[in-house]
Amino acid sequence: MELGIDVRNVESCAVVDVKGEIDVYTAPKLREKLIELVSEGSYNVVVNLEGVDFLDSTGLGVLVGALKRVKAHDGSLALVCTQDKILKIFKITGLTKVFPIHDSIDEATAAASG
Amino acid sequence: MALVEIEVPSRTAYVGVVRLALSALARSAGLDEDVVDDLKIAVSEACANAVLANEDADGDVPVTVAWTETDDGIVVEVGDRGPIHDPRPDEEVDSQGFSTRSVLSFSLLSALAADCSRTPREGGGMSTQMSFPRPG
Repeated sequence: MELGIDVRNVESCAVVDVKGEIDVYTAPKLREKLIELVSEGSYNVVVNLEGVDFLDSTGLGVLVGALKRVKAHDGSLALVCTQDKILKIFKITGLTKVFPIHDSIDEATAAASG
Repeated sequence: MALVEIEVPSRTAYVGVVRLALSALARSAGLDEDVVDDLKIAVSEACANAVLANEDADGDVPVTVAWTETDDGIVVEVGDRGPIHDPRPDEEVDSQGFSTRSVLSFSLLSALAADCSRTPREGGGMSTQMSFPRPG
């Protein structure tokens, strides 16, 4: 089981395109990448979940951890997701109140650029 | 009544294997696709919790998964040999008020399974039982 992670810069944001299944086994790879981005000075991060087929509580925990890191630098962490089965996970856990969730990368980067 | 039993090593890499096996069983049992999605998440959460519990107990014991088909639906039971643990959401937030992984996990489990309960196992550890309905 592989998790694909690609990072590109759009506007003033680091956009992280994630592909595959984020679970207790693969989530550490995403955690490392997000920690690396913040330590390199990327404080406005957009995580694109459109290519994600599966997300569990460990994956949610990684996103919450990254949010705390960027907030410590007055940054932002936004998500891009339109898939009902993934959005459902955020709704059940109440995290729709914690993360800005956008329909597209353009919308997410525009919101982050203010 | 069909019964399938699976034992996997207590390593996180095997959670995906159980997820794949049980989603195939769920489809062949005729569950609706949205119930299959719910089952995949709930089973993954229960298996991840069992793997982490066994790691806590520091024992080289497997995670056991039992799948039973009944007239009403599916019952999945996931067993570990870890410490007896019953999370209380109001006590399990971090210093900034965010829910911990285990609380997020149990929120998902209880929301996605039609019925979910956790009981101590004979010989030590915990068992998580979850049920999922058949269509109609």
